[in-house]
Amino acid sequence: MNSENSIEVRDVTKQFKIFIDKGRTIKERALFRRRRQYEHRQVLRGVSFDVKKGEAVGLIGHNGCGKSTTLKLLTRILYPDTGSIEITGRVSSLIELGAGFHPDLSGKENIYINAAIFGLKREEIDRRLDDIIAFSELEDFIDNPVRTYSSGMYMRLAFSVAINVDANVLLIDEILAVGDANFQIKCFNKLQEIKGKGTTIVIVSHSLDQIEQICDRTIWIHEGLVRMEGASRDVHPAYLDYMEMKRRENAEKEAKRKAEKEGVKEAEKKKETIPASAYGMEEGKRWGNGRARIVEVRILDQENQERTIFRVEETIKIHLKYQVKSLVRDAVFGLGFFNAQGLRCYGTNTEIDDLPPFNLSEDGEMEVILPRVMLLSGVYTLDMTIEEGHGMPVDYFREVATIEITNSKRDLGVMRMDHQWILDYEKK
Amino acid sequence: MTIFREIYEYREMIGSLIKRDLKSRYKGSALGFLWSFLNPLLQLIVYSFVFKIVMRASYERYYLFLFVALVPWLFFMTSVTGGASCVWSQKDLVNKIYFPREVLPIAHVTCQLVNMLLSFVVIFAVILVTRHGMNLAALLYLPAIMLVEYLLALGIAFFVSAITVFLRDVEYIMGIVMMAWQFLSPVMYGIDLIPEKYRVIYQLNPMTPILMAYRDIFYYKQPPQLGTLIQATALGAIVLIIGFGVFQRLKRHFSEEM
Repeated sequence: MNSENSIEVRDVTKQFKIFIDKGRTIKERALFRRRRQYEHRQVLRGVSFDVKKGEAVGLIGHNGCGKSTTLKLLTRILYPDTGSIEITGRVSSLIELGAGFHPDLSGKENIYINAAIFGLKREEIDRRLDDIIAFSELEDFIDNPVRTYSSGMYMRLAFSVAINVDANVLLIDEILAVGDANFQIKCFNKLQEIKGKGTTIVIVSHSLDQIEQICDRTIWIHEGLVRMEGASRDVHPAYLDYMEMKRRENAEKEAKRKAEKEGVKEAEKKKETIPASAYGMEEGKRWGNGRARIVEVRILDQENQERTIFRVEETIKIHLKYQVKSLVRDAVFGLGFFNAQGLRCYGTNTEIDDLPPFNLSEDGEMEVILPRVMLLSGVYTLDMTIEEGHGMPVDYFREVATIEITNSKRDLGVMRMDHQWILDYEKK
Repeated sequence: MTIFREIYEYREMIGSLIKRDLKSRYKGSALGFLWSFLNPLLQLIVYSFVFKIVMRASYERYYLFLFVALVPWLFFMTSVTGGASCVWSQKDLVNKIYFPREVLPIAHVTCQLVNMLLSFVVIFAVILVTRHGMNLAALLYLPAIMLVEYLLALGIAFFVSAITVFLRDVEYIMGIVMMAWQFLSPVMYGIDLIPEKYRVIYQLNPMTPILMAYRDIFYYKQPPQLGTLIQATALGAIVLIIGFGVFQRLKRHFSEEM
């Protein structure tokens, strides 16, 4: 095993027997032999990937693609049929929260039981107890039986234990939806802190946003194979694209099925509303269903002159022309600034900014005015998007423009923050 | 060998599972922990009544004769019948997180051992009250015989808990098997009642030498015979090795079957 790696997965295959009707008693096994028919389902067909020490990796894929099975194999709940998995260090999994909680025992007693299930020793739990209780914010209730807790309190306690295990490798399955918004932010920050300490993290999630925020890299698992791996910013668009294609296929199938029922005429109508040539990418920088297209993007300064170099705090206007091929309902315009490292420095859209919903029915132009761009010096790329409904890309145009920001001052970071120094505070 | 180190690493989990079990067992009952003592005592009364008064067993101080074998038997029986379901009933844990699966049968059998030790407090009390007397030299063998019985119970628990995951009937079959096993073991009677020609077969029962040893120590107040001890240890070791081996073979597929 390469010493730089924390996890090495090599050619792992796994198949399950899917029983039509599984018999588990002798009677069923003897009498209903036919009912016990099963089929093999090959869930993984030779998955290989590495995760480096201290790296955070996201596993994505559609339902049933094998990503959760992969995580279970990493956790050693399941074992591969062929191939090998090597992991160095202590593994902790946030797959099941509150495993082994007993309702009649107090919060504190349950902390001990739950932490022990994660493989912690007595002294280790003693040492972490205060941290766990503080993180859960349940100081006043910690000696009450867990059955008196609300479900939110229960999950908070469970998450606090799991997150304080101090593993070398942390495996997470869709669990960041714990508690209220404040607690979620807290969990998220804690994860960042854990990552900062050099813990290797593998996350399975449907939320690409979460993965983008935490992970350095994304692995897309498709039909039991690694279809693509790389920076989240490269993999996620390709994945979304695929999902969109899938959706369209299903929609067309559905339309066909309906057509067979309702006659050919209806089907013709349906087809017209989905332009056949809409799906396609330009140099891998553009995707969406193509009902509307961005045809021109111009970057202007305050005097409406085209420019690409700006100073910090200058006004930037983005002028956009679009064509509409068929009606876009509940359209959303969006923008995103990315720096050279691929970090999203700022992103927003008309929905986030609470603009009233609108439809796009004919070609038009629009403009975004950014009166004071606070980004510090560097080269930035701009993404412009048209989406419809709930985040369905119509035309997602990546790196549509590049701007450069120069800074006459020497302040550091990604963006300037408004501030003032008050040195004679006492006298005031 | 790594598996043994790993089980040791998870000793805190074993400990807290036992604690959880003991703590929650009598929660909500009025007499609470007292049931640990009351239960064997009440059983003793029922058995004594049936066998001494109704069946007219001829043993002197039959209640003691019975009790010193019944308590170890109950330990063995609950270890095996409960042991059958100890992995299956924790399927939420097994399906969701990793830990060495051996922890579950170990915790279950150890918990029953703790219960037996509590029952032994009652035995000592009964011996004291009835002035039966005790042989300290014989008493020295007690920890050894308990250990042997523990290992035997653990071996069978490993075996049946693993099988039950794949064949749920085992849990119910074990109920019948254990009842038959109880009548075929010298619990309610002594080995002297078994006709000479059947004794060899009878000795193959791994519980026979163990129960004989307990009875030697407390009822007959004499150290168990060396032959009995060796026989008990050998049978216990064989059962443990087989049970552990089967468990090792099957445990990788537990999650898939649940």
